[in-house]
Amino acid sequence: MTAASAPAAGRRSLADLRRSDWRIVLTQLRYEQLAFWRNRFGAVFTIGFSVLFLVLLGSSGGTQRLQSLLGLRAIQYYTAGFAAYGVMSACFNTLAISLVNRREMGLLKRLRISPLPTPALLAAILGNAAVIAVAQVVVLLVIGRLAYHVELPHAWGALAVDVAAGVLCFTVLGVAVSTLIPNQEAAGPIVSIVYFVLLFLSGLWFPLEKGSALARISAWFPVRHLIVATFAPFDLRPGVSPWAWHDIFAMAVWGLAGLVVALRRFRWEPSRR
Amino acid sequence: MLLLGGAPARFAPARPAAGPAGTIGAVAAAVEVDHLHKRYGPLEAVVDVSFAVEEGEVFALLGPNGAGKTTTLEILWGLRQRDGGSVRVLGHDPARHERAVRERVGVVLQELALEPMLTVREVLARNASFYPHPRPVDEVIELVGLSEKADARVRSLSGGQQRRLDVGLGIVGDPELVFLDEPTTGFDPSARRGAWELVRALSGEGTTVILTTHYMDEAEALADRVGVIAAGRIVALSSPATLGGRDTSEAHVRFRLPPGHDPSELPSLPVPVRRLAGGVLELASNDEVHLLHVLTGWAEATATPLLGLTVERMTLEDVYLRLTTDPAPADRSAR
Repeated sequence: MTAASAPAAGRRSLADLRRSDWRIVLTQLRYEQLAFWRNRFGAVFTIGFSVLFLVLLGSSGGTQRLQSLLGLRAIQYYTAGFAAYGVMSACFNTLAISLVNRREMGLLKRLRISPLPTPALLAAILGNAAVIAVAQVVVLLVIGRLAYHVELPHAWGALAVDVAAGVLCFTVLGVAVSTLIPNQEAAGPIVSIVYFVLLFLSGLWFPLEKGSALARISAWFPVRHLIVATFAPFDLRPGVSPWAWHDIFAMAVWGLAGLVVALRRFRWEPSRR
Repeated sequence: MLLLGGAPARFAPARPAAGPAGTIGAVAAAVEVDHLHKRYGPLEAVVDVSFAVEEGEVFALLGPNGAGKTTTLEILWGLRQRDGGSVRVLGHDPARHERAVRERVGVVLQELALEPMLTVREVLARNASFYPHPRPVDEVIELVGLSEKADARVRSLSGGQQRRLDVGLGIVGDPELVFLDEPTTGFDPSARRGAWELVRALSGEGTTVILTTHYMDEAEALADRVGVIAAGRIVALSSPATLGGRDTSEAHVRFRLPPGHDPSELPSLPVPVRRLAGGVLELASNDEVHLLHVLTGWAEATATPLLGLTVERMTLEDVYLRLTTDPAPADRSAR
């Protein structure tokens, strides 16, 4: 027989997991979490930043009402914005860097040789990012509410959908970006530059005027859409819908594009030096 | 390194005979490679490699860097697709990436790959969770001699301890077949002996072991059979004792004559005498018993001592170097 007749290797989906495999997924998730929280530096960078920014902005005029938000308090926007930031940090930034590190350290190659099913590994990675993302959203909401009297959304369902869409979209993009980064040394700088430029363009630190040039440019990227979608349930002006379907759709499109890149380019082995 | 005193006893109950997979007639093959071929663009990494490893055997794959060893192993592990030939690992095609096979195979890679923030116990427990019937984690910790460090984080371990943990990951699934890729490179002599003990213990349990090494004494000490790869082909395949015909090759008899004596005084000998550096005389013969008889008879009769008398056949290293530096490719494929 020849290699050509061998079926495509390892193309399995979540649906193929055995029932006992969900226990494997949970075991992996537990160790992913252990490794994440023990790496204080990484944990502080991921979680601490969103809290730090919110507190800095909250204590430096962030509680004023803004013209660009039609008289809403800025902190109402920042709480939502940094919740979105937290989701992106966990799912995109931290995940992409950690995947590059693991690939270059040979950890992925080792897992490839082991019987751990690929879908179980991916489910654990996604779950890990989701736990960190949700933890940040909760922390920010608690701080926003207690310290700055932010009005919490009535439409919690909308917020949950936004966070879920953000987790899925940015996890896939994190995996996709990791495949474009050649080595560990490049991972931090590349990811951070892409991420912070997009955050800036997308109006995280200053709400963008609808129809402004920046708003139109940043509408091409998913970061803006997650910020806008997360803010929608916090925009409690009468007549404003908490459901930002347009932005959720845009994230879905980006997620699918990322999925194509991730599936085509994903490598288990370190790049040859 | 591995194995504290008396640890082999822990292996005592041998695993019941391995499953039917890989059985061919009466002889069970753990690994079969038949006319394997692999190219990377214009480079033929593996030209034509065939060998089989029986269940319970310790097989050493030798060859210079770049000879195709690693590519062959990576195909066996399912990391790469072959371009031609067939491969069977425990009766299955590794390219199909079947989980059932992976659950029965352990691999210890050359490069260390360990999660730095987890402890020794956690790393092993995590990997144990991939397998249906893993070895108990504490048993693995003891086998690789890390009991003192069981709760230490991986990043606090020394290089040698990390390597031992890596070996532990290779056996935590209680595999039927273990690959060890240069398992003792960089080890000090006592650590190497410890690793050898572990290989012997695994083998004693009925585990099939395939290892690569650059140390000929290691291959000689551990392997039932060795295969030598050079330039993408298997150039020799036999037990270490008979590799390249070294058991039937000429013996070299060497000695010196005391000062004042000249080789011309020697009796008539069946083979010519060669002069080596330092006054050493060398005779090469297939019939060294007769040669020695003549030589020692003369020495006795004339009361001339044969200083530093030795009789040697080619070492494994001699054979290996001859096989892997042979410049004539046609000669290789003929073998």
